[in-house]
Amino acid sequence: MKKAVLSFLSSLKLTIGLFIIIAVASLLGTVIPQQYDGGESIRHLNPALVKVFESLQLFDMYHSIWFIILMGLLSLNLTVCSLNRFPTSWKLFRKIPSLDRSKPFENLSPDRILATEKERNEVIFGVERLLLKRYKRVRRKDTANTTFFYGQKGAYSHFGVYVIHASILIVIAGAIIGSLLGFEAFVNLPEGESTNTVHLGRQKVIKNLDFAVRCDKFSIAYYDNGMPKEYRSDLSFLKDGDVIYQGPLLVNHPVTVNGIRFYQASYGSTPGDQALITIKKGNEAGTTITARLKDSLHLKEKDATVKILRIEENLMSMGPAVLISIQSPERNMRFWVFKDIERIKQGIPDLFKKVPRFNPGLFEPYYFKLNEIEKKYYTGLQLSHDPGVSIVASGSFLIIIGFLITFFSSHKRFWVRVDGEEGKSRISVAASSTRDPVGLKRETENLMRHLKSTI
Amino acid sequence: MIINTTILSWVTFVYFASAIFYIFRMVTGKEFWGPLASFSALVGLIAQTGALILRWVESYKMGIGHAPLSNLYESLIFFAWTIVLLYLIMEWRIKTRNLGAFVIPFAFLSMAYASFSPHVSSRIQPLIPALQSNWLISHVITCFFGYAAFTIACGLGLMYLLKGLEKGGVSRPFLRFLPGRKTLDELSYHSVVIGFIFLTLGIITGSVWAYSAWGSYWSWDPKETWSLITWLVYAAMLHSRFVRGWRGKRMAVMSIIGFVSVLFTYFGVNYLPGLHSYF
Repeated sequence: MKKAVLSFLSSLKLTIGLFIIIAVASLLGTVIPQQYDGGESIRHLNPALVKVFESLQLFDMYHSIWFIILMGLLSLNLTVCSLNRFPTSWKLFRKIPSLDRSKPFENLSPDRILATEKERNEVIFGVERLLLKRYKRVRRKDTANTTFFYGQKGAYSHFGVYVIHASILIVIAGAIIGSLLGFEAFVNLPEGESTNTVHLGRQKVIKNLDFAVRCDKFSIAYYDNGMPKEYRSDLSFLKDGDVIYQGPLLVNHPVTVNGIRFYQASYGSTPGDQALITIKKGNEAGTTITARLKDSLHLKEKDATVKILRIEENLMSMGPAVLISIQSPERNMRFWVFKDIERIKQGIPDLFKKVPRFNPGLFEPYYFKLNEIEKKYYTGLQLSHDPGVSIVASGSFLIIIGFLITFFSSHKRFWVRVDGEEGKSRISVAASSTRDPVGLKRETENLMRHLKSTI
Repeated sequence: MIINTTILSWVTFVYFASAIFYIFRMVTGKEFWGPLASFSALVGLIAQTGALILRWVESYKMGIGHAPLSNLYESLIFFAWTIVLLYLIMEWRIKTRNLGAFVIPFAFLSMAYASFSPHVSSRIQPLIPALQSNWLISHVITCFFGYAAFTIACGLGLMYLLKGLEKGGVSRPFLRFLPGRKTLDELSYHSVVIGFIFLTLGIITGSVWAYSAWGSYWSWDPKETWSLITWLVYAAMLHSRFVRGWRGKRMAVMSIIGFVSVLFTYFGVNYLPGLHSYF
């Protein structure tokens, strides 16, 4: 039973099966809307289907239990396979085949045989020196009138596949560490404001940082054709009232503070606390001023105090508006001034009768006009803390090394036989390799050339 | 029209001619067409290289300098360039022109799509903030060399299946001029290995970039996910070859399935919502 489980866990069928299942599951995840899309597209689906999908965690598939189980099975399969096969590879790495084999020398092509007039001992000496220089684990065996040599190269190539498998396990381990110990969060921060609370990634939970971040300024630069060129937040990071770091944050240039990386992720605008207002009387041009929220200004003629009480970006879906308060000896009043009042009046001609508080000329003889409200940008910051990154990075680096070993090296073995009679010697070379017949041929030709020049 | 796009649309025709010559050579069995085919492919490659450099220089003159690897048009052009470059290196190394008829047409199609599709703008555009990264060049180059190697593997797979008709008793003269099935299988395997290494490098450079741009080295964005699917398909292929010793027809079929996955990673993903919306 135990054996059956083990052989199942180490089978190629399981590996390929898992590859296919993970590939198909991943494919589904790119077709079924995932939760972080905001759920907008889910609304078009049949409610019964949504229930089924929900119970299978298909809307957050890549973090679902069954997807994690699949990944776990793959890791297990990888581990068991590697452990299973390793002893064989180790043997292949360590074992030196018998030197005086005749089989490799059968059917040897003539260009793998060299003949020389030199003394045999001299030839043997030269061959041995050359082999020792070129190959590893060179062995020699002398028989009555024949000397055998063995040398090899690239025996480490048996381990390439383990390097690859180990590096994949390292990457998975790094990802697990990151998801357990790290976090992802976001915060929208208006210009001039600071915060030390952020929203955690998928769970809509609030997290407190042990320092505060302040957005001093957010700006966008454009190219001549109107495409965005740069999103930039000037941030200050504060701890106990002291600035611990200050600098710009740009897309592609995250900033790390106390082990937490900050990214420029998005932006938006909210109304600021200033409005550009024109106050006029009758047909005169009037005066245009920038009025601050809650600041008061004086209208001498009527001895009235004017205040902006509220600034709204989009009041009752009718666009920007400010709430004006008037205090004068005659009367006190409050009314709204819309930026788009002309357009609104076209839609509702008797607006001022119905809602006198929407009349910008309510405080006669003055007429208020809202030109613009100040917009304040907020910057959308993404935060991440991932202690697994360096592990994932080293796994990725290792996998490339594993590929180079596996695909570009091979275990090449060489047998050299020196025999012959008095005054005449013969060198025969036989070679074999695990893969890469082309590389073996090249290496053997090199060896033949060097042998030729030594004798 | 800017000069580089004019050259590039001419290159499209040169590759078309080259593909036709390779096909003539295969169908007629006359070596006469061979040098003509190779020569036009080489001329096309040189002209295309020149045009790419020109485009790069022009972008600097416009004050928005960046490598010509930043939108669909430029990526299609670069895709064709990598296919022809890899193919010509292969032709030179293995000294046979037999593969051209199944590889150069892909380069032509990519060029034609870039040059003549009304949906593909050939304008040089400035880089949006997300693309302003040193990783752009290494990410795009590694990915597209991977795609090109997989394209060649797919061409070889198709040739293998065609060649297999011979065994089934079909006898066409041009089948005789295809390389032997063992050679095709070996070459296809080598192309897949090259593609697999480059795809892996492409995924790694991509995740390094994502780590500095999006805040996470892997966010299951559709393009990322599809590159993983492609990676799994080829990983399955290599494993069944290494462990089970699968050869021949099955490998040929898998190299075609893998290529479909590559195509989806490249184009299909544009129809899914995600972060990789620039290509």
